[in-house]
Amino acid sequence: MKYSYNWLKELSGTKLSPEKVRELLTMHSLEIEGMEEKKWNFDGVVVGKILEIKKHPNADKLQLTKIDIGKHTSPPASPAGGQPSPYKGEGVLDIVCGAKNIAVGDKVPVATAGTKLPNGIEIKEAEIRGEKSFGMLCALDELGLGTDHSGIFILDSKAKIGEPAKKYLGVEDDTIFEIKVLPDRAHDATSHVGVAREISVLENRKFEYDFDGLKLPCVKTQNFASLRVRIEDKKLCSRYIGAVMENVEIKDSPSWMKQRLEASGIRPINNVVDATNYVMLELGQPMHAFDAEKISSKNKLQIIIRRAKDKEKLVLLDESILELNNSDLLITNGETPLALAGIMGGKDSGINENTKTIILEAANFDAVNIRRSRTRLGVKTESSDRFEKEIDPNLAEKAIVRIIEVLEHTAGAEFEGVIDIYPNKIKPCKIKLDLEYVNSLLGEIIPKKEITRILNLLGINTTIQPYKVVCTIPTFRVDLKTQEDLIEEIGRIWGYEKIKPLPLVEPVIPAKINEVLSFERKLGEIAVGFGFDEMYNYSFYSEIDTKNCALDGIHPMDYVALQQPPKAVVHGVKHFELSSPMNPDQRYVRVSLVPNILKNVKTNINIFESFNIFEIGKVYSCHPELVSGSGFRNEFGMTGTEEKRMLVMAQVLEKDKGAETFYNLKGTVQSLLENLGIGEDNILYKEKNLPKNHLTHPVRNAEIIVNNEKIGMIGEINPLTLKKYKIEKRVAVCEFDTEKLMRVAEKQKIFLPLQKFPTVIRDISMLAKGETRAIDIQNIIKKVGGNLVMKVDMFDVFKKDNQTSFAYHIEFGASERTLESREVDEVMEKVITDLEKELKVEVRK
Amino acid sequence: MTTVMLKEKIENLKKQFLAEIEKIKPSEEALFELEKRYVGRKSEFISILKNLKNLTPEERRQIGELANNTKNEIFEIIKNKKTEIESGSFDAEKEKIDVTIPGKKKSVGHFNPISLVRRDIEDVFTSMGYEIADGPEIENEWYNFDALNIPKDHPARDMQDTFWLRSQTNADGTRKDADNFSMRSQTSAVQARYMEKNKPPLRIIVPGKCFRREATDTTHEHTFYQFEALIVGEDVNVGNLKFTAKEFFSAFFKQDVDVRLRPSYFPFTEPSFEFDISCTVCGGKGCKACKWAGWLELGGAGMVNQNVFVSAGYPRNKYQGFAWGFGLERLAMTRYKIDDVRLFHSGDLRFVKQF
Repeated sequence: MKYSYNWLKELSGTKLSPEKVRELLTMHSLEIEGMEEKKWNFDGVVVGKILEIKKHPNADKLQLTKIDIGKHTSPPASPAGGQPSPYKGEGVLDIVCGAKNIAVGDKVPVATAGTKLPNGIEIKEAEIRGEKSFGMLCALDELGLGTDHSGIFILDSKAKIGEPAKKYLGVEDDTIFEIKVLPDRAHDATSHVGVAREISVLENRKFEYDFDGLKLPCVKTQNFASLRVRIEDKKLCSRYIGAVMENVEIKDSPSWMKQRLEASGIRPINNVVDATNYVMLELGQPMHAFDAEKISSKNKLQIIIRRAKDKEKLVLLDESILELNNSDLLITNGETPLALAGIMGGKDSGINENTKTIILEAANFDAVNIRRSRTRLGVKTESSDRFEKEIDPNLAEKAIVRIIEVLEHTAGAEFEGVIDIYPNKIKPCKIKLDLEYVNSLLGEIIPKKEITRILNLLGINTTIQPYKVVCTIPTFRVDLKTQEDLIEEIGRIWGYEKIKPLPLVEPVIPAKINEVLSFERKLGEIAVGFGFDEMYNYSFYSEIDTKNCALDGIHPMDYVALQQPPKAVVHGVKHFELSSPMNPDQRYVRVSLVPNILKNVKTNINIFESFNIFEIGKVYSCHPELVSGSGFRNEFGMTGTEEKRMLVMAQVLEKDKGAETFYNLKGTVQSLLENLGIGEDNILYKEKNLPKNHLTHPVRNAEIIVNNEKIGMIGEINPLTLKKYKIEKRVAVCEFDTEKLMRVAEKQKIFLPLQKFPTVIRDISMLAKGETRAIDIQNIIKKVGGNLVMKVDMFDVFKKDNQTSFAYHIEFGASERTLESREVDEVMEKVITDLEKELKVEVRK
Repeated sequence: MTTVMLKEKIENLKKQFLAEIEKIKPSEEALFELEKRYVGRKSEFISILKNLKNLTPEERRQIGELANNTKNEIFEIIKNKKTEIESGSFDAEKEKIDVTIPGKKKSVGHFNPISLVRRDIEDVFTSMGYEIADGPEIENEWYNFDALNIPKDHPARDMQDTFWLRSQTNADGTRKDADNFSMRSQTSAVQARYMEKNKPPLRIIVPGKCFRREATDTTHEHTFYQFEALIVGEDVNVGNLKFTAKEFFSAFFKQDVDVRLRPSYFPFTEPSFEFDISCTVCGGKGCKACKWAGWLELGGAGMVNQNVFVSAGYPRNKYQGFAWGFGLERLAMTRYKIDDVRLFHSGDLRFVKQF
């Protein structure tokens, strides 16, 4: 919200500069987000009198005027760097003007040549359609005094010719603060009085504004019969004050008021509307003014506050039509709606230049209901902004007293009477504040005298009891409800900067290690060590992604292995969908890390020839059948949602003539598992034939099974899927369920004695049938060799026609002796026989 | 033989050896022959040593010492000669290479800078005895809002601000899920979860992914990372918050950092603070990085609201605690001078490979 420094200064009596005020408020009260100087830049504008108006000979829409600007002893304009005005001492200027609202004898603001107006226009001597013009007559907006551009700003006839317009208008330079008022202070600090009170407190001065003195005279409240007010829904409207003023003269507000409104970002309209806004800005109470004539029904002035009927319509001041329902609150005259309570006035009951009698409203409406109505109807106003933050009902009285005072002054209006319906008067509440608690929570000893001083300055009355202070909270501080709220007040006014850093007194004990998180860290380290770069992706993707990757309806533990077609899934798991996504690309909550990883591949594939990426993150799924209480709970004990921590790694190579990408990544997986202490003998890579539309390549994939449990998968991405992402290279991915991986990973390494006796390496190579798999050969070698085979290493493999050639190093040895070559020969012979017999391979001899 | 004769004989052998080694054409074989002849198992020298047993102990000592020394000398000379031959046969010039030719690089991967920052934070706090806790990223309304004292009608709960999940329905349109789920909007959602299961004193940090429905630009992301700190005890106070924050940020930025608290408002803390640290570039004097303020705004903090304790099942006004939530992106951007928050989730390797 915008605040005028001049206004705050007047209300608080501060002598501090705007910078100082800003600093004080920021450190102790409210954050000042911006500060802007408001300067009235029309130094060359003077009061002139129109002596003559003639038609422009060459332009229908223009006129030639002669303007008396009086005698000047010094140039009226002395623009920096510009030429001095040639008109010193000259009294009458020829000026070409297009406006039609001027008449001979009018006094007008005249911008003389050399003047630079607030809108940036520089006035120069000019020739307009062949006629010389030595200045410009100004409209209101051209002086930066509003947006009115309907015609030249006609000044009072008493204005002194030649007087600088700035002096005549009484405008003052100001500084505008943009203050961020948070919800706790939105009850009281969205007003100049609220902020001025803060300034006084911070300067350790009693707030001089006579807030308590704003009281309705009882007499005019009791016996006022010409207006009736009835509240039908006392929950939605806890107070309604209606005041009648007569003999109102509708006109422009005085310029000091306009300036303050403008400073606060509100457009001046007329003296009555401006007064409602002015009092709102001063006190924080939104107000409204009705034209009494337009709201009287059957010669009665009455106001009935009721809920709208369903589909009831209301035409607003801005001509828009609202369709209401039963939860909206209306101000009516008993028949027709006059205003949407607390939000905006209706078109028909507004003030216009003929208004003579007005009804002023100061009321209190239910905050939650205002918020709901304005959200649903899409109408947000200064008024609704304040009401929805909940304001003190007692403020309404102060505001009505203040506006009456203002209008007596600015509209010559006469106060007729007032009706105040306020069934449940809000009284100040009391909080017992434990002095020990103040010190204990802030961590500083603040003297009792300081505590009461601060509270009293804030308008809180205090009574001292042993170890306690009983605080009476003024009703305008709706936010102060607990001891902690009061401690905050004491702390901030006293100064948080005075609180010294204090070490915690609790002993430091070794922290419990979060096993999953530290395992994830370890995985990250290994992946980075292997040359993989880390990706962070959104947890969302589009419907197209779910289709491209054939992910919908797959159980997380099946998509881990990306194995089963959706139909076969027993636990049909669905994507969560966002109720209102940022955009359609981010509509579904991911059940797999792969789709976004494929997008990462796409992002980089034209920049890097080969790359390795990984992501560690969660996937989420919804278990509709689990919600109904089948007992499933996720790791946090929640039903209905499942979250899994996953690791995905993906690889793209510069060139791949066969399956290098797959095997490269498989090597990484092997090294990863080895690093985690999972023995090769416990790992099974189990291939599956998948449907052609599957995310993974139908015949280049494997489940990774450790100790009979599926912990992840490795595979190439299906070329058909890659095509959908416009990726033209092979992409291999592996995915692990991090927690399962953690469970099979070795917790503690155990030292094995070093091999003491020499080992022997024998090579064997063979030609096998096309369908023979490496694992079958290895298994036979290991089976035959038993304990004597220490390692089987494939060192060569290639396809030839329909056959595959395999070549292995086999390392023989024993832990307790040196093997004799005879023993090794025997094993090798048996290996060869068995391979030839069982796999029909042709061993090269 | 007398000792004198033996001495003479040994010295003669030595002279003979010295003369011969000067004469021969040095080669591995010749040296091997020489060694065999003079000090080998069947050499004269060894036979002298073998015959020592016939002497008196005193003679044995004298001759033995001389013979041993001489033998060692001969070994030494032969060894030196061998080294000479080896270095002579090595032509270093032939092996000359161009060291400016690029080597074969090992590829090492890169962490996303958010991870780097997160790991540092975890390390600092672990060293101060904090447990690293976590919670679900899909959260129910209770933990994400109610337990944090966020009123039912608070704007943060709006569709515009929170990623709510569409509720699951049965075929007949009735609702299946008991809870209103959303992507968690702050790591503070973990507070009540953790406190329900643990009793004070406790000190935890919660690093993690959060989600808020806001349009992205250079400084805003709908998906971001926070780290929450929560310390609860019987008399934890604002001074402790200041101390802990100062220690942490000084350790994190590896320089002396000052902290500043300004009044603020959050439903889950009372009092609440905006939290600034002295600018890590200028140290508080004012520079471009801090927009001449001397301070960097980092996030929100405060003393845990008693209502949050009550939600977690603690008695009202028995405990005191502080909490804060800072964005990891902000810290990473400050540290690495990154100017666009969207880069973290861009998937662009040109970005990640820089860290």
